[in-house]
Amino acid sequence: MTSACEATTRALPGAAVIELSGEVDGSAAAVLTDAYERAVTAGAEDQDTVVLDFAAVDYINSTGIALIVSVLARARAERRKVVASGLSPHYREIFDITRLSDFIQLFPDLDGAVSQLSHPAA
Amino acid sequence: MTQVAPRRLDTFTLASEPGNERLALARVAGTVQDLGLSDARLERLKTAVAEATMNAIEHGNGNRAEIPVEVEVTQDGDEIIVAISDQGGEIHPDASGHEEPDLVRKLDGDQSPRGWGLFLIRNMVDAMDVTTDGQRHTIWLTMRIGGAAT
Repeated sequence: MTSACEATTRALPGAAVIELSGEVDGSAAAVLTDAYERAVTAGAEDQDTVVLDFAAVDYINSTGIALIVSVLARARAERRKVVASGLSPHYREIFDITRLSDFIQLFPDLDGAVSQLSHPAA
Repeated sequence: MTQVAPRRLDTFTLASEPGNERLALARVAGTVQDLGLSDARLERLKTAVAEATMNAIEHGNGNRAEIPVEVEVTQDGDEIIVAISDQGGEIHPDASGHEEPDLVRKLDGDQSPRGWGLFLIRNMVDAMDVTTDGQRHTIWLTMRIGGAAT
């Protein structure tokens, strides 16, 4: 019933994409930290945005929220913007309640996030 | 107006092992699925049950598998009430000295990134109450079936 968190990363011009799947809970700490490290070091130096895609995530708990806060804090310290895509309506609500959405722009899906990042004026 | 007595829908126990909150979430969701909660409110209740069970496992029973977490689901008219009990006693470690989470302070490093559990529970359900009876510590989650969708 439970599924461990996994992350795949890829570099786009100006953005590092982390696609998450499974459960974002306490057991996801190393996965998320490693993925962030991999994502921001794999691409060009102008990667000023990190995209967290949650489309394949089926569960986020309070410890997972804490991990996302830690990623956001680190990204801000490194002057990177964090955006998120693929959150279900329920987890969008939790991002609103916790105020994460004040600091992380939310997109319905990854294509929309990437498109917006590629063409910010569109 | 006819008064209908509260109806116990389910009662079960879980071993206090990390991850078992998912079992509580799934079982409670299955129990209440036909009672008419909107999808959004069902998701809220599931998150509250998972967080309260996680607190009971970790903070109440100290991850000691042999001490059970008890879960009871009751319907009282328009309300679904989920009671989650542990053996954390009067001074529940998670409730004592709990600081309201503040994202800005967390991002500035002035507050731990953690500490969202009770905050989430309070914001997910219509009412949250805590009672203690000697060793027994219970969190009561109330969700109105006909409550607003958002």
